[in-house]
Amino acid sequence: MTDNHQQPILEVKDLKKHYPIIKGFNRKLVGYTKAVDGVSFAVPTAHTLGLVGESGCGKSTTGHCIMRGIEPTAGQVIFHDRERGPIDVAQADPNMLRHVRLNMQMVFQDPSSSMNPRMTVFDIVSEPLTVNNVARGKDLQDRVAELLRVVGLLPEHMHRFPHAFSGGQRQRIAVARSLALRPQFIIADEPVSALDVSIQAQTLNLLQDLQEQFDLSYLFISHDLSVVEHVSDVVAVMYVGKLAEMAETEELYHNPKHPYTEALLSSVPNPDPGVVKNRIVLAGEVPSPRKPPTGCYFHPRCNYAVSDCAENAPPLREISPGHTVACHLADKLTLRGVTAVRI
Amino acid sequence: MENEQLLEVQDLKTYFYTERGVVRAVDGVTFDVKRGRTLGVVGESGCGKSITSFSVLRLLQKPGKIVSGQILYHKREDDGNEEVLDLTSLNPNSYTMRSVRGGEISMIFQEPMTSLDPVYTVGNQIVEGITYHLKVSQAEAREMAIAMLGRVNMPEPQRVVDSYPHQLSGGMRQRAMIAMALACRPSLLIADEPTTALDVTTEAQILELLRDLQKEFGMAIMYITHNLGVVAEMVEEAIVMYMGKVVERAPVRDLFYDPKHPYMIALLQSIPKLGRKNQARLQAISGMVPSPFAIPAGCPFHPRCPKFMPGVCEMSEPPVVDLNSDRYVRCFLYQ
Repeated sequence: MTDNHQQPILEVKDLKKHYPIIKGFNRKLVGYTKAVDGVSFAVPTAHTLGLVGESGCGKSTTGHCIMRGIEPTAGQVIFHDRERGPIDVAQADPNMLRHVRLNMQMVFQDPSSSMNPRMTVFDIVSEPLTVNNVARGKDLQDRVAELLRVVGLLPEHMHRFPHAFSGGQRQRIAVARSLALRPQFIIADEPVSALDVSIQAQTLNLLQDLQEQFDLSYLFISHDLSVVEHVSDVVAVMYVGKLAEMAETEELYHNPKHPYTEALLSSVPNPDPGVVKNRIVLAGEVPSPRKPPTGCYFHPRCNYAVSDCAENAPPLREISPGHTVACHLADKLTLRGVTAVRI
Repeated sequence: MENEQLLEVQDLKTYFYTERGVVRAVDGVTFDVKRGRTLGVVGESGCGKSITSFSVLRLLQKPGKIVSGQILYHKREDDGNEEVLDLTSLNPNSYTMRSVRGGEISMIFQEPMTSLDPVYTVGNQIVEGITYHLKVSQAEAREMAIAMLGRVNMPEPQRVVDSYPHQLSGGMRQRAMIAMALACRPSLLIADEPTTALDVTTEAQILELLRDLQKEFGMAIMYITHNLGVVAEMVEEAIVMYMGKVVERAPVRDLFYDPKHPYMIALLQSIPKLGRKNQARLQAISGMVPSPFAIPAGCPFHPRCPKFMPGVCEMSEPPVVDLNSDRYVRCFLYQ
């Protein structure tokens, strides 16, 4: 990793979330759905870690476990607070958790369903401030106005309701709310997936500007590989609850080492009609984490699988500095990265 | 054979008469689809691309209404004779319209869960269409349905034919939709964002399938999407829509390598492109899509346009400028 990545703001170590599967009248425990199964990564301070994967791979569950919106089953989530030093969020008591959540906020995919339609924009953005006794009265008014200005909305619109705003503006309101407590770290869960292309660019630029302005660190969860490439410094690829590969963005996109990453990259429709497509179309579908395949979870769909893949799960190992991959064949395979778009 | 017209839409206007005012969802759209070819319809939400396809199939709900324009469909009989139907003049519930819908033109939608009926099996829903359009028995129709499911690479078609939609995954539901749409061998398939709700690897499978099926059945596809990557891969020609109007029409290579309309240029610049990581900012289009009740005067794109010419663009509607035989743009810059 480069120098400026040394100090992580958040370290996730062997995070697990297993949901019990209960069946029958006697409510017998028959197994576990391993939604997140031993995920480890570190988010560098003032940088962005992109977490990509297909639906159901556990990327959102990971985000919620970090916030303790969902209680993790096992593992550590170490938040390096600017003032208090490292805090294990997974073990934090309610008081500590309160402090952590002042510094760690979340932005969700669909801004209309993450806001109460009966609250005005002022109520929505000021709620974190009043709940935490940070500001009140005139000061509160000023701070909300300032927050709206920061995200590019007009402060005079603060007494309107969310329905009076477009999707892109609503996402700005959600960003303003998440910034209210001046957090150090933001988990953005598919923040632009519900937005139109022209609005997507505005929102991505806004997130980038805010990062520079406030030294924010992001965990950027998305299924859109081009968006993740654009915003992230480090990218982690998830498949059925586990990390398949993690590396710096350029390295991962141009020199993938996991066959799943290669297939994902080749699947993205390229806005260049002249590119010769030799796309890898994967057979079958993402397995359910209820009944994952044996060995490497990806082996039934993998074009390179050997007999060992069906038996032993490959551990995540470092193949070159800063590049980790969970594949038995990572040293042997020559995989294809992305071809740059010419337009 | 190659350039035969299949569908000609001329100056189509579809308006919605709501209590708050008239929404001009489709406002003078002209395009054509040639037999066996693929036309892309590109635009952001609210630009009228889906309403255009609903108008073609006469599936508009109140308060929507086709105000003017023609939709000419060239129906070819088995003996090779051609009959031209103006779909706008037909009663939406008439026998002719119903035989066109599903038999000649069929449609697949974005969210297969909401467009499949949850209380009927997949087989039932495919058989319904087959028995309506073709003279076959129930048993034959069922065999055809199973064969069709197999053709769209559905795993275990014998079993899936008796499954309910909720028992299938998103990708499988979309395959079932495609099987249903193609069961009667339509000449035109309207695909309205068919892969938007799917994961990238599933999307790749469905796009591949649509391409194979087009080669095999020779149907024309009208592909509606906002995803420029999908457009570049799937279509030969595309129209770009903004606020109910076609702002540009071009063969797909010209559209991507040499876009003319400022909206299309801006759209292409605003998307992050794979393999071109740079920390530079994206070039966002300023402002937002205007409210359908307050469409700006003149060119509807003028308040957001980087090449806005004061005194020209907001005064009158830009004319359609023909650049060459298969390409036009609606902008004052090219006059």
